[in-house]
Amino acid sequence: MGFLWYLTIRIGGALATVAVGSFLIFLIMKLAPGDPALAVLGESATPETIAAYHKEFGLDEPILVQFGIWAKMVLQGDLGKSIALAGKFPIKDLLATRLPITLFIGMYGLVIAVVISLIAGTAAALRHGKLTDTVATSIAVLGISMPDFWFSYVLILAFALSLDWFPSYGFTAPGESWIGAFHSGFLPALAIAAPMAGVFARILRASLLETARREYVTAARSYGFAAPFVFVHYVFRNAVIPFVTVLGLQVRYLLGGVVIIERVFGISGMGSLMVDAAFARDYPVVQACALTFLVGVLFVNLLVDIVCALLDPRRTR
Amino acid sequence: MTMHDSNGVGRRSFLKGAAAAGGMAVVTGPMLSRVALGQTRGGTLRAALLGFGVVNTLDPQKAGLNSDFFVLNTMFNTLVKFDGNMKIVPDLAESWTNPNPTTYEFKLRKGVKFHDGNEMTSDDVKFTIERVAAEATKSPNRAKFTVIDKIETPDKYTVRFITKQPFVPLLSFFTNTTTGAQIISRKALEKMGDEAFAKAPVGTGAFKFKEWKPGEKIGFVAHKEYFEKGLPYLDAVDIPLIPEEPSGITAILGGQIDIASTAPFADVPKLQQDPNITVSKTPGLNFRFVALNIQKPPFDDVHFRRALSLATNREAIVAAALFGEGSPMWGATPPAISWAFEKKPRELCVFNPERAKAELAKSKYKAGTEASVITWGSSWWKRWTEIFVAQVNQVLGVKFTIEVTEANTAFSRFRANDIQAETTGWIARVEADEYVPECFRTGGPRNFNQYSNPEVDKLVDASRVEFDQAKRGELLKKAEDLVVEDMPCIFTMNNNAHNMWTKKVKGFVPLPSQSFGNQFPPVSLG
Amino acid sequence: MATATTFGTVLRELRQNRVAAVGLGITTFVLLAIAIGPSLSPYDPSMMDFTAILQPPSWAHPFGTNSFGMDVLTRVLYGARNSLLISIVGVVLGGGLGTLIGMTSAYVGRWFDAIAMRFVDLVFSFPIFVLALMLMLVLGFGVQNVIVAIAIVYIPNFARLARNTTMIVKSEPYVQAAQVMGQSRIRIMVREILPNIAAPLFVQFTVGLAFAIIIEAGLSFLGLGVQPPTPSLGVMMADGKDYFHRGPWVLTLTGLALMVTILGLNLLGDGLRDLLDPRLRRRSAA
Repeated sequence: MGFLWYLTIRIGGALATVAVGSFLIFLIMKLAPGDPALAVLGESATPETIAAYHKEFGLDEPILVQFGIWAKMVLQGDLGKSIALAGKFPIKDLLATRLPITLFIGMYGLVIAVVISLIAGTAAALRHGKLTDTVATSIAVLGISMPDFWFSYVLILAFALSLDWFPSYGFTAPGESWIGAFHSGFLPALAIAAPMAGVFARILRASLLETARREYVTAARSYGFAAPFVFVHYVFRNAVIPFVTVLGLQVRYLLGGVVIIERVFGISGMGSLMVDAAFARDYPVVQACALTFLVGVLFVNLLVDIVCALLDPRRTR
Repeated sequence: MTMHDSNGVGRRSFLKGAAAAGGMAVVTGPMLSRVALGQTRGGTLRAALLGFGVVNTLDPQKAGLNSDFFVLNTMFNTLVKFDGNMKIVPDLAESWTNPNPTTYEFKLRKGVKFHDGNEMTSDDVKFTIERVAAEATKSPNRAKFTVIDKIETPDKYTVRFITKQPFVPLLSFFTNTTTGAQIISRKALEKMGDEAFAKAPVGTGAFKFKEWKPGEKIGFVAHKEYFEKGLPYLDAVDIPLIPEEPSGITAILGGQIDIASTAPFADVPKLQQDPNITVSKTPGLNFRFVALNIQKPPFDDVHFRRALSLATNREAIVAAALFGEGSPMWGATPPAISWAFEKKPRELCVFNPERAKAELAKSKYKAGTEASVITWGSSWWKRWTEIFVAQVNQVLGVKFTIEVTEANTAFSRFRANDIQAETTGWIARVEADEYVPECFRTGGPRNFNQYSNPEVDKLVDASRVEFDQAKRGELLKKAEDLVVEDMPCIFTMNNNAHNMWTKKVKGFVPLPSQSFGNQFPPVSLG
Repeated sequence: MATATTFGTVLRELRQNRVAAVGLGITTFVLLAIAIGPSLSPYDPSMMDFTAILQPPSWAHPFGTNSFGMDVLTRVLYGARNSLLISIVGVVLGGGLGTLIGMTSAYVGRWFDAIAMRFVDLVFSFPIFVLALMLMLVLGFGVQNVIVAIAIVYIPNFARLARNTTMIVKSEPYVQAAQVMGQSRIRIMVREILPNIAAPLFVQFTVGLAFAIIIEAGLSFLGLGVQPPTPSLGVMMADGKDYFHRGPWVLTLTGLALMVTILGLNLLGDGLRDLLDPRLRRRSAA
């Protein structure tokens, strides 16, 4: 009853956030000057063709009516069609090609960040106060002090244009070739990973150190358990909880970073879709992207809470 | 829309590979070019559309963006087309005549097959042009064809356009430009319906539609029954979209693309030295200017406007904003349309600080006058604005400031005349009528600041019924003289149009129409 | 107890903490450089010299010149000044409003708390750059709007932090004593609570400042933020990006300068957190 009730409240809150968030984005886009008709009709547009365009897509209706129509459509499971960015492509088809690409790059970056931070964070904590600690911590701080878009250009200059190890531009979708995707996605994933790895490593180090000082760890040691056993079973397991929490919080930074990184590397993902749509005033596409981002972040946060609950020794024991 | 690209149409001069490509300009037949260049068959050409993030539709009669037409010309043909010397030559039509001033008659090429296997006939031509002119189609190019009264098809290979009154520019609108006259298959459209057709169109071009990933790329495969025998050499063409021009350099240097629709101005010198890259350049079909709201202070005073023009050092702007890749302008018609271009600089558009101050003295506005200049878009555009504002502030002591926004906002404000001043421009217009007449005739479709001069209107109207090109050019130049005297905008410059491609690409001839899609049939990879 | 965490003590302890000391050192260096540097430079940051565009680093121009022929180092110094100012104002604005919302939320509770925290959740659910980008589209580009965007991005961070810390402090005996003595709510919030939650807020400010500089740079980098001719690190990097192949030093070296600035702030923030954290914990346990 307790957990189910908690879950219901959480999901209800998340849905309310999605509804309010969609409405806010809708308002923001409508408040912004500009007109999708101009993005579509080009230099030769006449007042008549512009008016006809507005009528065709219901842009001459009052704002609230427009939002109502959109919301009703979405509730029926239809995201509508693009109005400026790509003919009248169904938006769900656009998302179907774009979302996997962003998810791939994001997950790729996340995995790189987690691997780096696990190694660096654990090493720094185990060798607390030693040179390893200083080096690992410094690199971690350096990582979070770098703007990812700048780091992208440095990577391109070094590893694509000078060394020619990786492609300089563009991305092979996993659908076409997995090897190609891992190869062409490496530099962008690394650029996204760098700041995250820094944040994760610092959190992990700090919480490992703190957990190691706790009474039950001292107790476990005094029972004569081997140090590696104590570390894995008592220290690491407990220290991972804040790590996972921060992982969840980082999703919004991750997705935000993707917006610029996709631009730099020429990756056709969600970020570039939303930016292009915003510039072309393709309202339904912007709405759909915002909705996707909102649902994504809320879902990850929910997931993190559940994982933390499961990891919590008080629950599992 | 006046987008970030820097393309245009005009006579091409080659920076590199002059021998091979220069030869191509003379050689017209595909057989000869194959012999001359020893071209191989097969492969996929990756032809990047640089500076564009959006292709909106693949339906020629609904398309409005320059980027749309770049892509469309890969799979469509038009009745006639512009060649490298800005001359109109046959495409789907073998010949054409004007039996009288209100009639255009075209004889069509026989045995031309659409991608769906049907033969292209006069009925398809009639259908296409009627479609673009129909109100229901909502084509942004509709106005270009409303002068047509009726279309007759005496037989399968003859089509006759009867106009309401004589209208000379019409022929240009039937070309491979951005007017939506690309001939579509009537049967295919009627079978598929508008919406499906716009996503997978059927034309007569050397390449047929394969796939469209919005915002990413459009893919084509060779059309086996293309009417030019033996062409195309390539198996396929991919057109990826690269919104940021500098990224195009990254992509071509890293080997991710073979050819690009433009080259960033600043990088041209360095690319010229790269043995693996060829860059072509030509005066572009464009007209860059500072738009002014002449209805409101302070730009409602002709002396003030003249003072600004005289205080503008156009050479400096070309050097600093275009990195020398362009030329100053003293009118609206670009040099590429040579017969209508005034070669002698007009004095009011030549930098002259003394005279500028004298004009300012005659004006009701003085030093210290404030105004905001809107700008947007890519970096060179902002540079131009920065330099312009710095110049007039320095010479005249006015207090102009810059307001930066993004393209859509800037363009809608420009159209609504909701500006004080804005740096803007028109690109990819092949027809002289699209410059002075459309921009400055009373009620002209691009005359957004409601400039009006009855004398100009008279000259423009006379030019539209004058079939002799030389005489028509004189009329347009005279109209332009009068416009410059009134200075409804600050005529600034014309930028070069570029293409760049790698060593691998052979047989590419940058034709005057900026749509490089037309040039792919004789191209091979190696 | 109430005045235990004065900045004097903090400063004294700062010198003993290695990380904080390095951070303080770098930050001081950066502040000195942008304060004094420009007056030492022989170049005018906005002087265009088209005879010397995109020149590689040399003794005359240690960071090279940009596409206008301007000295990049001089512009970095001026640009960093602007970037830092924009970020400070943005974070102070966001921090002030956020703290106000957070403290009120914790103190008033009920409906205000519920609404405020839902708002916080909402803003937290948007990817940062997506949010900032949309705001710029509506607000228009330029310095003031970058500040507003940064402030909006930071309100929830401070609101949440202020709320949680206020909750802890609220139950302390001296606050309850003040309540018993009949002091007004506002007086208690300003006099008793604020000084005791200032330390973690200050840490958040330092770290927030670092990321705000990245936000400014990112927005300007996309062409949506600060606009030329005003130099900011983001504007300069955007310019460097456009001429990356002819002059890679403009982007890379400006970015390097930006990184050093942020590094200093991050280290300082870390050090401060180390110093202040145990104290907080001790108090909440007491």
